Amino acid sequence: MAETVNGIAFFLLAFATIGGAVMMLSTRNVVHAAFWLLETMLATAGLYLLLDAEFLALVQVLVLFTIMLTLRRREDAVRPFEPGWGGMVLAALFGAAMLLAIQRGQLPAARMPEAVPTTVDFGRMLFTEWAVPFEIASLVLLVALVGAVWWSGGDRR
Amino acid sequence: MTIGAPAGAAQFMALSAVLFSLGLYGALSRKNAVMVLMSLELMANAVNLNLVALSRFVDPGAMTGQFFAVFSMVVSAAEIGLGLALVLAIYRQKKTVELEAMEELKG
Amino acid sequence: MGYVALIPLLPALSFAILAPLPRTWRNRLVPLSVAAVSVSLALAIAAFIATWPGGHEAHPVTAFAATFAHLGAAELAFRLVVDPTGALMALVVTLVGVAVQVYSVGYMHREERIGWYYAVLSLFTAAMLTLVLADNFLQLYMAWEVMGLCSYLLIGFWHQQPGPRAASIKAFLTTRVGDVGFALGLLVMYATAGSFDFATVLHEHAWEPAAATAVALLLLFGAMGKSAQLPLHVWLPDAMAGPTPASALIHAATMVAAGVYLVGRAMPIFEASGTALTVTLVVGSLTALAGGLLAVVQHDVKKVLAYSTISQLGYMFVALGAGGFVAGMYHLVTHAFFKSLLFLGAGVIIHAAHTQDMREMGGLAKHMPVTTAAFGAGALALAGVPPFAGFFSKDEILTVLVHEHQYVALAAALAAAFVTAFYVARLFFRVFTGPPQTAGLKEAHAEMLAPMVVLAGITAVAGFFGPALGRFLGHEIPWPEPGVATLSVGVAAAGLAAGWWVYGRRTVVVNTRPLKERFGVLYTAFSLKLYFDLTYDNFVVKPYVRLAEWLARFDLGFIDGIVNGAARLWRALSGVGAWFDGRVVDGAVNGAAAAVVAGGERVRAVQVGRVQAYQALMFGAVVLVMVLLVVKGV
Repeated sequence: MAETVNGIAFFLLAFATIGGAVMMLSTRNVVHAAFWLLETMLATAGLYLLLDAEFLALVQVLVLFTIMLTLRRREDAVRPFEPGWGGMVLAALFGAAMLLAIQRGQLPAARMPEAVPTTVDFGRMLFTEWAVPFEIASLVLLVALVGAVWWSGGDRR
Repeated sequence: MTIGAPAGAAQFMALSAVLFSLGLYGALSRKNAVMVLMSLELMANAVNLNLVALSRFVDPGAMTGQFFAVFSMVVSAAEIGLGLALVLAIYRQKKTVELEAMEELKG
Repeated sequence: MGYVALIPLLPALSFAILAPLPRTWRNRLVPLSVAAVSVSLALAIAAFIATWPGGHEAHPVTAFAATFAHLGAAELAFRLVVDPTGALMALVVTLVGVAVQVYSVGYMHREERIGWYYAVLSLFTAAMLTLVLADNFLQLYMAWEVMGLCSYLLIGFWHQQPGPRAASIKAFLTTRVGDVGFALGLLVMYATAGSFDFATVLHEHAWEPAAATAVALLLLFGAMGKSAQLPLHVWLPDAMAGPTPASALIHAATMVAAGVYLVGRAMPIFEASGTALTVTLVVGSLTALAGGLLAVVQHDVKKVLAYSTISQLGYMFVALGAGGFVAGMYHLVTHAFFKSLLFLGAGVIIHAAHTQDMREMGGLAKHMPVTTAAFGAGALALAGVPPFAGFFSKDEILTVLVHEHQYVALAAALAAAFVTAFYVARLFFRVFTGPPQTAGLKEAHAEMLAPMVVLAGITAVAGFFGPALGRFLGHEIPWPEPGVATLSVGVAAAGLAAGWWVYGRRTVVVNTRPLKERFGVLYTAFSLKLYFDLTYDNFVVKPYVRLAEWLARFDLGFIDGIVNGAARLWRALSGVGAWFDGRVVDGAVNGAAAAVVAGGERVRAVQVGRVQAYQALMFGAVVLVMVLLVVKGV
């Protein structure tokens, strides 16, 4: 029963994700596109929950907020649709090749293993085994923050 | 794949591949810098999803994919922050965010 | 005993700090150097006290050890080891070092380069301490050479003047002659004993007489250079061109005693040889006598003391040559104190009288009572009058000579003692009594007097610690035997009386006429320093210079001709090369460059400057690779 629920949930979330992406690309309004991106990411957060990655789901939501904060309304927000045929063909070829590879590849178990670590374990490992990358990541964020402030700062001239 | 059947690794990877392709299309075709950045975000998302899913199916105890995804998110958050700041700076200078305006490295 | 490592390290550090600084900073940091060596003194006292209870029976304590090189299977180690002799020497070195550094604050305060002076003084102290705490001959040799460098630098401290410059070069080259012997001795030692360590070389290795003689004589040669023994003594009187406190530390108390220390350390090799002991005895006797006689005819206060040092070092060699290691070390210690005292006193005298010539001095006693008293104590110790330290150690040497039945050496030593007393009296009466010849005499500053008073105090009482010191070093130092003591005191008294008779009796100003008239030829010989310097000048320096001049002419005429010819030929060849370069090589290079430019113009079109184009290219390539993989069926 739980597995069936799981399957249905996956289907719905997959639909929401892909649908959001398609809408994001097809809309002519940049602000709208941004909201569709948010929708996609929210759906991805749901998929993370499905994969028992609760922490990641939460982080995803937080990232989503940051993106929302950086968005601004602009005069040229509405633009004509740009089909970009060449890009579409290339992306389609790429996607087809990937799907083919997934179909033919030797994939791991189709069923989800039962043993699942909790967020507590995740946190413990993050601050023990992964402490150094974690600190480096914080440094990266700091530098990015400083850079963003620098570049988007008010008129210096 | 039937609706309601439990999703396996293949389903997650397929979803990820589709998402990535959509992002790729956006990144290749959009002329608006902000749109390109958002498409890149889509691609990053697809990659993260793949990482987490494979980690969950192959070795759930180690959670390596989750950690990778966290760091990938950190980097993409930094990227989007910086990218938008750059776009803003360019906009201030050139009054446009069209990628055609950013061809100063043309050989 | 880890703190022992700090004893040489602190002065070394103060050198390391002072040396690289600019002059003004260096001059300001002089107190640092004084503080460092003072702490070293405190630590040396602690080490001495810690070593005292067991004395010679305690095992040497290794305070620091580090291997700095491997020689095949053998390790060359840098070690600081405390044994009774080392602890005693470290105490003496730091004590005199502190006295001199404190004294120099007053003596050198007008010097522009006082900071450099202190830096070199610190380096010297560090090197000397490394030497006395060494437990192998190689480390000893390295410290020995550093000391030689410091000696050179300090003699040439006033290198703007030609005198000190020449003296520093002379000192460096003369001691170098001895050091070659030392180095060869080390090589022979390693070849035979297979080690430099004291323990192996001195105690474990069974020396054959021939090898022992070779090593011992070579080491003795090195010691003779450093300790200014005949015939390598010529540098020490000239070394007086350096600052007086530096002379007190280096050329009276410590460095020149290093030769004695070396021979003392290497005593087992000398004893295994036998011949080397005799040579040491002969060299020492001759030096003791000749140094004393030469001191009589000097007019320069410092040179009198320099020849006196040579003579007293000869005394120590006599003791070592007679097998009296402890007697030699004993005299080394007492001599370090009273001779550095005399030098510091000489510095005060020179400061006050503005001259070094004792003929132009007189009557200083009235104006400088403290200096007179301290100098007098040192002078009496030098003359060997009880109860001053010099009497006890000199008496010990004479006792050893009596016990070993070395009567010829004994006669020489007694004669030297008489001469010593004579020139001491001459020096003292000339400088301190009689009519004053300089106006405005006044006592020196406290920082100059304090070290002198301390050293005078030590000189006055050190003699009574002889037996205890003997037990500490592992050999009996008896109280003076009545017979020998009477003899020695009698000789000293006779010398002093004779000196007084000639120089002190009359209050009128005299020059050297009394002696000059009575011993014409002899006096000339002595005033020409027994012809040593003339001999070296005529048979070594001048031929060498002539050879150099001849070689220079040869260089100019012949070698330069060849060189110039080669240069001309080369120029002609270069002309051909230049033509080839201009036409062929440049053509090829320019052609290649043009081809690259043309290629670049074509390739440049690829760089459209749009990010998305690059991205498309990249993913296109990825798709191609994937298609290829699918087709190949991986």
